[in-house]
Amino acid sequence: MSRYAIAIAFTSVALMLSIALQEPFGNPFWFFFAIAVIASTWICGRGPGWLAVGFSSIAVLYFFIPPYRAWNVKPRDIPFFFTFVLCQVVANWLISWRRKTEEALRRGRDELEIRVAERTLELKNANDALVNQMAEQRRTEEALQVTRTELARVSRITTVGELTASIAHEVNQPLAAVVANADACVAWLSRDVPDLVEARAAAERATHGATRASEVIVRIRSLINKSTPEKAQVQINRIIEETAALTSRQAATNGVALSLELAPDLPTVLGDSIQLQQVILNLMMNGIEAMSGVADRPRRLTIRSGAQESQQVLVSVQDSGVGVSVENMPRLFEPFFTTRTKGMGMGLPISRSIIEAHGGRLWAESDGTHGTTFQFTLPRADGAAG
Amino acid sequence: MKEAEAIVFVIDDDRAIRDGIASLIRSIGLRVETFGSARHFMSAERPDAPACLILDVRMPGIGGLELQRQLSGAGIHIPIIFITGHGDIPMTVQAMKEGALEFLTKPVRGQDLLEAVQKAIERDRTLRKERAELAAIRARFDSLTPRETEVLHLVVAGLLNKQIADELGTSELTVKTHRAHVMEKTEAESLAHLVRMSERLKNSLRK
Repeated sequence: MSRYAIAIAFTSVALMLSIALQEPFGNPFWFFFAIAVIASTWICGRGPGWLAVGFSSIAVLYFFIPPYRAWNVKPRDIPFFFTFVLCQVVANWLISWRRKTEEALRRGRDELEIRVAERTLELKNANDALVNQMAEQRRTEEALQVTRTELARVSRITTVGELTASIAHEVNQPLAAVVANADACVAWLSRDVPDLVEARAAAERATHGATRASEVIVRIRSLINKSTPEKAQVQINRIIEETAALTSRQAATNGVALSLELAPDLPTVLGDSIQLQQVILNLMMNGIEAMSGVADRPRRLTIRSGAQESQQVLVSVQDSGVGVSVENMPRLFEPFFTTRTKGMGMGLPISRSIIEAHGGRLWAESDGTHGTTFQFTLPRADGAAG
Repeated sequence: MKEAEAIVFVIDDDRAIRDGIASLIRSIGLRVETFGSARHFMSAERPDAPACLILDVRMPGIGGLELQRQLSGAGIHIPIIFITGHGDIPMTVQAMKEGALEFLTKPVRGQDLLEAVQKAIERDRTLRKERAELAAIRARFDSLTPRETEVLHLVVAGLLNKQIADELGTSELTVKTHRAHVMEKTEAESLAHLVRMSERLKNSLRK
């Protein structure tokens, strides 16, 4: 409504100026009215423009068409009046058309800006989502790594658990030696004439036994506790020998002859000794288990190590057990696949992931009846760059 | 004849334990021989002397219980002291049934082991003496003629000379002579002694 009031105001101002200037200058009326119509249309829009046209036409008719200040019109002034009205109408129409075009342009520009802002926001949101997703993925990967490490540890503990009887024996044995030798030492010292040579020998054997027990415990503890992998230069033969020492009792109890055929002067590999020990332990325990039903041939577990021409160290664990059937072969390394009554079916997949994390390969070969050979390669430490 | 010096055999696959036990037993002045496996022990020559065996139950190859069976199958009666990491009850019962003397768990207290060893050797000494006596009695009884053996059985059964003569269809005088030979050859001091010896032989055969 106020736009119409402004149009009236413009026209009123034009009217007053025209009346004021009528006396000294004759009839300059229509310029002001034209300006009023243009200004009204330009500023307030088409409707108020029409109002200004109407109002100024009436004002002109009354004040400035002779006879002045009267409604009647002489016939010779009629074309003039209509020309004036027509000019006003055309001005109004042109201005409002122009205005509409500009408004459309402005609206277009505004819309464009809004759309750009919207697009920018969408882009930002997408970007934020991507960043979140990446962080999420990193967190998932970290969690996965933690889980994998923990799973490997649990599997180690499970394996160690299967070895419990052996380990108990392994620790108890040197302790028994300690007690026997310490008692002997005391007995030699308590004789009427103490025999110091015998006493000393017994005491030395006791010390040796205690050291042996503590070594076993250190081995077990490192196998159970450590969770973050650490890479270092590793002598694979030493790991094989240590693992064989851990399982020798288990092998003997199961009537399995353990033999090591280790190549001397093997290059070192870069790896985590505990994880590698876990792999060898898994393979050895599997081999021993696989032979538990074998009665018609010797139960033999052979661990070999050697160097391969292509910068690799090769370790194989061969049993003379029941073998792996052709249909089970592809599933051997699948998680939770097991043919044993006890056992998680995690040993081999974990072993494979450990070996692959070391840049090596783990695979199995079996003729399906007379045993299986598990082999893995590890890149040698000095050739790791190549 | 002075009895041979007692000897203790130690069979354990763990050298440190073997040496410790051997040292402990030597410290009280007994002879010791050690073996790393049952096989070595079986193939070794064993002196004829009171002895006992300290045996690890769990060994690679022939285990302790298996060796016990083989020994008793071969008629070798050495008191056995078993040493085990963790003796379960069925295993202990089986070993005891087969005549094991002691079942000690590792680590064994020296005092327990020495007491068991002394008990075992004492028992072997007694058993050896009994076996020797029995062997002597059997030898004396084996020296009787078939006729004298017949008379012996009837005498021991509690028959009088006259009844024996009727049984065998011979004279009372002949029976008396046979009977005197029997008493002399078996070194019986009295009829009661003769009966006791005869019972001992019978019991040992029944076993």
